[in-house]
Amino acid sequence: MTIADLWDQRISAFLLSPSQFLATTTTESFLAELLHELRNDKANDQLKILLVSVLLGHPTILCPSASVGEETALELLSVFSHTPQKSILLKCNVMLAITNVIICTSCLATHTKTAEDWLDLLFQTIQDTNDYRCGLSQQPIRAAACDCLREMETCSPGLLSQKLEALYLLKQQETTVLHQSYCLLYTLGLKNAIRILTNQKDVTDLEFKSILGGNEGFAWKSNQLELTSLPINMLVQVPRLTQGLDCKELKSIMSSLLEESYLLTPISQSALLRELVEVVAMVPGLSPTLFKSQLLRLFGTADVSLMHATLFMKDTFTDSLFTAEDENFLLKRLVGTAQHPLLRIPEKLFYMECILHFPENRPISSSGEESLPVLVTPRLAASLHPTVFNDSTTMLCRLNLLCLVHLEADEGEADKGIGFLFDHILALLKIVDNDGSREVVVTSFRALFIFLMHFNGMEELSEKLIDKLCDMYSRHSRLAPNLIGLADRIQEHLDDPVWSVKLLRELQKCIMEMPPLQLTIHNLSWHLKVLKRVAKEGQITQRNTIYLLLNVLINSNLCERGNWQVGNAVLAVCRNLLEHPSIDQVFIELADLLQYISIQYDDTDIKDHARFYYTLLTNLSWEKLTGVLAQKLDGGRAKERSHSAIMAESEGIASNLTVHKTNRHVLQLIKVQEKATQSSSESVEATGEVRNWLEVYQGQFQTPGFGSEVTLRYNLTHAKETDLLFDKVFTICLHFELKDSNYAMVSDIHVPCVFRDGKPPEVKVKLKPFQPYPTSLCVSAMFTTQDGRSWHSRLPDVSVSFPEIFLPLPLPPNSSCECKEQVFEHIWEATASGNPDKSAISLFCFKPEDESLADLIKTHFQGYLITDQQSERSWKVLFFLPPKCHILLKITQAEDAARVSIATDNWELLPFVNSYLQNITDNCSSTVTDG
Amino acid sequence: MSIRALWVVSHEKGESGKVRFSRRFPTVELRAKSLAGTQYVAIPEDCVIPKLLLTELGLVDADKPYVEVRGDCARHHRSLAVELRLDGPGGRTLWPLLTVTQGALILACLPLVEAPPEPRPPLPSLASVSQGLALLSGLQDFLCGPGGKPEPDVLASRLAALPSVLLQVCPLGRPLDTPLPAGSVPAAVAPSPGGAQKQPAWKAVVHQGRAVVSVALTEKVRSMQYGKSSQQDIWDVYGVLPNVTITLTLPHNGSPLQDILVHPCVTSLNASILTTCSVDENDGSAFSGPYKFPFSPPLELFRLCSYTSQVPVPPILGSYQLKAEENHLKVNVVLKLHESVKNSFEYCEAHIPFFNQNLMGSVEVKVSSGQLEVSKEKNWFGSLKFPKSREATLEGTVHFFSGTVAGPTDPLCTGLTAYIKLYFRVPDLTLSGCCVDQHSVQVYSSAKPRIVTTRELVSSEYYIWNSTGDAPVSSGLMML
Repeated sequence: MTIADLWDQRISAFLLSPSQFLATTTTESFLAELLHELRNDKANDQLKILLVSVLLGHPTILCPSASVGEETALELLSVFSHTPQKSILLKCNVMLAITNVIICTSCLATHTKTAEDWLDLLFQTIQDTNDYRCGLSQQPIRAAACDCLREMETCSPGLLSQKLEALYLLKQQETTVLHQSYCLLYTLGLKNAIRILTNQKDVTDLEFKSILGGNEGFAWKSNQLELTSLPINMLVQVPRLTQGLDCKELKSIMSSLLEESYLLTPISQSALLRELVEVVAMVPGLSPTLFKSQLLRLFGTADVSLMHATLFMKDTFTDSLFTAEDENFLLKRLVGTAQHPLLRIPEKLFYMECILHFPENRPISSSGEESLPVLVTPRLAASLHPTVFNDSTTMLCRLNLLCLVHLEADEGEADKGIGFLFDHILALLKIVDNDGSREVVVTSFRALFIFLMHFNGMEELSEKLIDKLCDMYSRHSRLAPNLIGLADRIQEHLDDPVWSVKLLRELQKCIMEMPPLQLTIHNLSWHLKVLKRVAKEGQITQRNTIYLLLNVLINSNLCERGNWQVGNAVLAVCRNLLEHPSIDQVFIELADLLQYISIQYDDTDIKDHARFYYTLLTNLSWEKLTGVLAQKLDGGRAKERSHSAIMAESEGIASNLTVHKTNRHVLQLIKVQEKATQSSSESVEATGEVRNWLEVYQGQFQTPGFGSEVTLRYNLTHAKETDLLFDKVFTICLHFELKDSNYAMVSDIHVPCVFRDGKPPEVKVKLKPFQPYPTSLCVSAMFTTQDGRSWHSRLPDVSVSFPEIFLPLPLPPNSSCECKEQVFEHIWEATASGNPDKSAISLFCFKPEDESLADLIKTHFQGYLITDQQSERSWKVLFFLPPKCHILLKITQAEDAARVSIATDNWELLPFVNSYLQNITDNCSSTVTDG
Repeated sequence: MSIRALWVVSHEKGESGKVRFSRRFPTVELRAKSLAGTQYVAIPEDCVIPKLLLTELGLVDADKPYVEVRGDCARHHRSLAVELRLDGPGGRTLWPLLTVTQGALILACLPLVEAPPEPRPPLPSLASVSQGLALLSGLQDFLCGPGGKPEPDVLASRLAALPSVLLQVCPLGRPLDTPLPAGSVPAAVAPSPGGAQKQPAWKAVVHQGRAVVSVALTEKVRSMQYGKSSQQDIWDVYGVLPNVTITLTLPHNGSPLQDILVHPCVTSLNASILTTCSVDENDGSAFSGPYKFPFSPPLELFRLCSYTSQVPVPPILGSYQLKAEENHLKVNVVLKLHESVKNSFEYCEAHIPFFNQNLMGSVEVKVSSGQLEVSKEKNWFGSLKFPKSREATLEGTVHFFSGTVAGPTDPLCTGLTAYIKLYFRVPDLTLSGCCVDQHSVQVYSSAKPRIVTTRELVSSEYYIWNSTGDAPVSSGLMML
């Protein structure tokens, strides 16, 4: 596989899931690799563009802090300057990446040097209009520079506010296609500059003029706008400049911008028009009639963004630009375009939305809700009538619009119109009846919902619908969930639940009247679902339901077959029946039914449940019964909840069985500060036998797993801010994920409970390194709260620093000092002579202050000392790192410096040793290192 | 006026969705974060996008009849924007996601909401929405090309070109332009050096070679014919004029062109051109041409203007009668060509399909002219030719096998609900009578370009329903 393919794979893996990808490496190293490859002269442009794309899309992941961002931007800048001139595409991509990094890592917001330099470079680039020198091919670079500047101005509004004259001249000079980029950049700068000025009281003519004639530096510190400044249509009050300013110059600029606007691409044109509309709205001296000359062209446009910009104009200027005639005309155009056969479906849907939010000159309400403009009459909207040939979204959209039209219409006209809509609904139901596909079924039920939401008050129609639906249900019982869903939603959305109750009552009747043959096993489960829902309605009598259930159980072989699912579905109906307010009337029948199940049903679980229900029914009053059965979603003791929930499938059981997720940190691991282990200096004297301690030492490694683990101790405590809900958590399972592959998997740790004000339990994490490098662990916890729900939450990452992996020399306990020294000397000699081949020696010097050396040794090396000859000012220290690495230190104090000779059998550890020593000696000295 | 992210997801039948291309715009994201404040919802990683998207579009769990997240009747599926529910119902949502589906490809983009997050602002109040839509349409044309269904390797190469396309049309999340449809740019072009006059941004290059202005006028005719007095037949005509001042002229007392939409390159329009609108009543005094369109053409093929027209009669009037007798159907079809239509069809086919029936057995049908062809999959059609008399008939019986081998199904066409669908093309004809005279094309240029004009009439959704069965209502126009 070539390097390019390898990168290709890695980058697609990164783009698919940055978090998973970075789990196998670190952000720093990936970023370093990317930048390294970008500097590689041998890599081709295509590969480099691919590499840059990562920084283009995810700069904040790769540059987590402003300082990294600044460094990365500098690196990219050097890549940019070293890229040959012919690599246009690459250069453009790098420019965009630098801009992204600078803006997203807040280099721009905090006004760093890099951001300033970059801004200067960009401005120089757009000023260097001498394309002839290198040919037209350099145009894309200038275009990219304009885009970058425009984005920087957007994210730091007002940045260009003192450069408008220069920008204007550049815009005027440019005659190639790039004029579009300059034009958009200038307009944005102009708009922001004026917006800033509106914040100021009493603007003088001079101040106003100076904006247009500004040719100074970048406005880093001017009273900039917030990044979140909203477009004017979102503001309650449009900011305006003071009256009476001299706008002659601005007016001529605006006219020339508008005159040339048709030279821009439609999307850019729409952006330009929006900026200009905002400017005119803010400057009282400019009249909206400026746009008049463009209107006709805009009315006829086939482009959706231009039409949208026209509506924005309408919204902003209403009758100061659009006469009543214009308004009527525009609305007619909208209705026409909403069904134009040559436009695409999403565009037509958009125009329909625009009709519902049409900015009228004299709106009746301005609530932002959907409302129909008064000018839309049934006649005008007739062409938007839904048909069965429409795609589902268009159909629903048209239906909704037409419902509103006919709701508003005059009586005679409305009846006719509603009749047509009703026919349409019937046509849809007919398709469903003819075994329509799943999508058709869903769409038809949505159409029913929309229709009922508007016309549920028309009894005749809504009753006809109920008849039709029941008729369909008798043939297609698979529609049960859709029907239940419809009844539920209508009940939720309308204050008056009558329709739903009627539907359910009829469905109950429909099931009662079915010939027994039709109650086959498969259909039965649908019918039971419906009956279960029916049993929830207090207004519907349930006697028939109970008779039916009893009848079915007695007259079929269901009880002998003892299917748990069917039994459970029957019990689910019974459960809702138990809660029914008029249970008194059917008390005996229900008791009979439950008893029958508890005796006859051939499934122990179902029998038990039935008996339990029976006991509840016969022993408790209705109030108590409903109390027991009521589902408490929040709070309550775990026991209660699980009892009532498990009795039948319900929302409760789902919430009990699912693991909830919380994004907050509930728990955390805090490192237990270890007391420095006492060196066993008082160990037993040598036993007399002279043994080769090295052999003994090395022999130990024959035992599998010897000295391969580091145990770290933590306290499991609550994180600072958590909910009361989490004050007591139980059965915690801690799960560890490694971020690299230098360690073996860490097994899960189980903790019985953690209480907020109790003693935190101690957790021992056993790490088994393959390579003893520092690492960090992702920790997550699953636990149960007091209310019986299970939760999943992440803990703050646990980082394992280099010294945390140090172990003392693993010799048998009670080994004497001599034998330790013997081992030390043997290993030292071996490594110094380059055996094994990864061995290395190094030297580290630092200048300790008086007495600090001894303190240093005491605090950091106590447990690892081999010999301590304080009188001679020399120490030997050995760190053992699993699986089998050694770091040996000989520390001696010379006249004015302390020397630390380092020997190790794994040179890859040296950088870590170095930074560790630097770290601990930082407080007491200045250091000198030497390889 | 920016978009936060863009995706191209492919969704083959029976497979889970796959992200084929994605792009995020971090500077826009920064703004989104600042605008939404505490209600900011970050975009999830690409690996979870397909599942969320397909759930919202109702394309998951094809084997299950009802899934609540997919089939809830109160979900607002009557909008062009969907919301992605990141933590299931009730959780955080990402809105508004615009989607365009073409075949197995789904294009989606997330426009920036420049508004306070609560309450949710209406879509038309967000500038980014129409720009996102325009960008998606452009990308759709670029990826799928004119045929709409590119070969896998062609699609792959176009996807690979997307980063450089985006560099031009949407470099930092801000749409600037739409990409040119695949394969539409003529070969002989050079970058324009600019001159005394500003170059339009939509014509970045200049053409080298002989200039040609080709004007093609395509009219499509749709029709629904029911053959019943209670149901009114419907037909309408719409046209496209894809490619300097062009003047469209209508014959004397022709009905005016309506709903005219023009390409943004048209520099000025006469107000009277736009006044006629299909939703208005016709008062006969409407403007009826000539329609002048001054414009500066881009180099690729483009749609200069689209219109609709009302013509007094459909070009082919048909009647279709179907009678059920024991185990066969009696078919009687009469098609009449209107006298205003030239009898010079390039092709004309009448397809008569039968749905929800057993497989077709013997077919005993006489055709007055043309040749009968029978298709195995239970569709059969006659290639028609209209004789001098301008009337073609087709009569006979169709038998069906009594076995259980079912043919194709359709939820609409049950019982005697059945239709004939017509496919035809007539070159050098328009129904509205609209035409472009070669000599009326004015080109203001020193070089004399060649001017070619063509016109054609093509059928589109031309149905004739069986008058003895129930036909589905197709339009509210009949209310008028």
